Amino acid sequence: MAAILKTYSGMLLESLGQTMLLTLLSLAFAFVIGLIFGLMNVSKSKVLNFIGTLYVDAVRGVPLIVLAYFIYFGVPAGVKAMGVASFKLSALQAGTISLSMNAGAYMAEIFRAGIQSVDKGQMEAARSLGLGYGKAMQKVILPQAIRTMVPSIINQFIISLKDTSILSVIGFPELTKAGNIIVGNTFKVLEVWAIVAIMYMIVITILSKLAKRIERRLNVGKER
Amino acid sequence: MEKSDKIKIHVSNLKKNFGSLEVLKSISADVTEGEVVVLIGPSGSGKSTFLRCLNRLEDITAGEVVINGVNIAEKNVDINKVRENIGMVFQHFNLFPHMTVLENIMLAPVELKKMTKEEAHAKGMELLKRVGLADKASVYPPQLSGGQKQRVAIARSLAMNPDIMLFDEPTSALDPEMVGEVLAVMKELAASGMTMLVVTHEIGFAREVADRVIFMDGGYIVEQGTPDEVIKNPKEPRTIDFLNKVL
Repeated sequence: MAAILKTYSGMLLESLGQTMLLTLLSLAFAFVIGLIFGLMNVSKSKVLNFIGTLYVDAVRGVPLIVLAYFIYFGVPAGVKAMGVASFKLSALQAGTISLSMNAGAYMAEIFRAGIQSVDKGQMEAARSLGLGYGKAMQKVILPQAIRTMVPSIINQFIISLKDTSILSVIGFPELTKAGNIIVGNTFKVLEVWAIVAIMYMIVITILSKLAKRIERRLNVGKER
Repeated sequence: MEKSDKIKIHVSNLKKNFGSLEVLKSISADVTEGEVVVLIGPSGSGKSTFLRCLNRLEDITAGEVVINGVNIAEKNVDINKVRENIGMVFQHFNLFPHMTVLENIMLAPVELKKMTKEEAHAKGMELLKRVGLADKASVYPPQLSGGQKQRVAIARSLAMNPDIMLFDEPTSALDPEMVGEVLAVMKELAASGMTMLVVTHEIGFAREVADRVIFMDGGYIVEQGTPDEVIKNPKEPRTIDFLNKVL
C-alpha cells in the first residue's frame, strides 16, 4: 500500500482535483439551471409549468451514465450526420454538461420546495407595497427560500461529487478513472480501491462537517 | 380634519368567485377622501375578500373597482403603480424576517426608486418615531412583540406615502394587551386624514373612529351607515343578530 501511495500519490491527488473541479463547475451551472426551472415550476403560467416539469422529469428519468454517453458520443455524431459541422466535446465539457443537467433537475426541485416553504403572506406583503413579481421574488422570497435550501443543496453537492465517478466511462481523468489506471498497472486491486474509497470518504466527511456548521450558523440567524 | 367629497374608491357590482364558490355576490360602495370605513360581519361574509379586491391581491371576477380614477378590474392596468398608493396591513403582519425593521420600511421606496437610500432612511426613522419604535430600527422582526410587529407593518406600508390604507383584521392575531397600542396608531392615522378601510372585530374601534360602518354577510352589504345607525340602532335582523353575539 505504501508503495502504491509513493508511486501514485501525485496522480491520485491530481485526479481528486479533477473530481473537485468537475463537481464545483457542475454545481455552479446546476444552481442556475435549478433556479430557472424551479422558478418556472412555481410560476402561475401553465406553459412555464409544463416546460419546467418536462425538463425535471426528462432528466431525472435518464441515468447519468446514459446522459453522459448521449452528450459525449451521441450529440457530436448527430451534428456530424446533419452535416452542419464536425466537432468533438472534451471529456470535461461533456462531463460538466451531463452532471450540470442532472444536478440541475434535482436543484430545480430543491428551489421549488424552498420557494413554496416561504409563507405566502410574504409575497402578498411585497406585492401590496407595489413591488413587481420579479423584484418580490428576488428581494423577499428567494433570500428566505435559499436559507431553508442549504441542507438540501449540500446534500446535492455530495451526491454530485460521488456521481463524478460515473464520468470515468467517458474517459474523464477523475479519481475513479485514476483508480482504474493504477489497478491496470499494479494489479493491486484491494489496496487501490481501498485507497480510492478512503479518499472519497475523507473529502465527503469534511464537506458534511462544514455543511453542519453552516447550517447551524444559519439556524442561529433564524432565531434572532 | 375636514372630509372632502372627492371619491377615492368606487366599487360597483363587484363579484368574486373562488371556483364555483361565490364569495362576493354584488358589492357596490364609494369611499371619499379622508373617510374611515369599518367593515364588520361574521367570518366567511366576504369582508376580507372585498378588501383584497381593492388592491387586486384577489383577481376580480366581475364588476368595477375604480381607485383614484383607475379601473383596476381591467387587465392592462399597471397594478404595481396603483398599489404604490394603497398601503395594506395584514392580520399576520407579514414582516420580512431576513431584514431589519428599518430595512423592511426602506425596501419598497428604494427598490421602486421613489427615494434615495438617504431619503428612505430618514423617512423610515420618521415613521418609526410616529409609531413609537425608533429604538427598534436595527432589530429583526422575530425579536418584536406582536403589537410592535404590527406597528412596524403600518410604518412599512406608509413608507410609499399611500393615500389609501387597507387594514385586514390588524388586531386579530394579537394578545389582548397589545391591541390598544395598534389601535392608537390607527386612530392617529385616521385623525391625520388618511382614507382608511378597516376589517375588524373591534366594535369599540368602529364606534369611536369610523365615519361609516358597513355590515356584510353572505357576500352582500347588508347594512351601512354611521356607527350610531349601524351599531346602536341596527335595522336588519342579521345585523342585530351579529351584534348580539359579539357585544
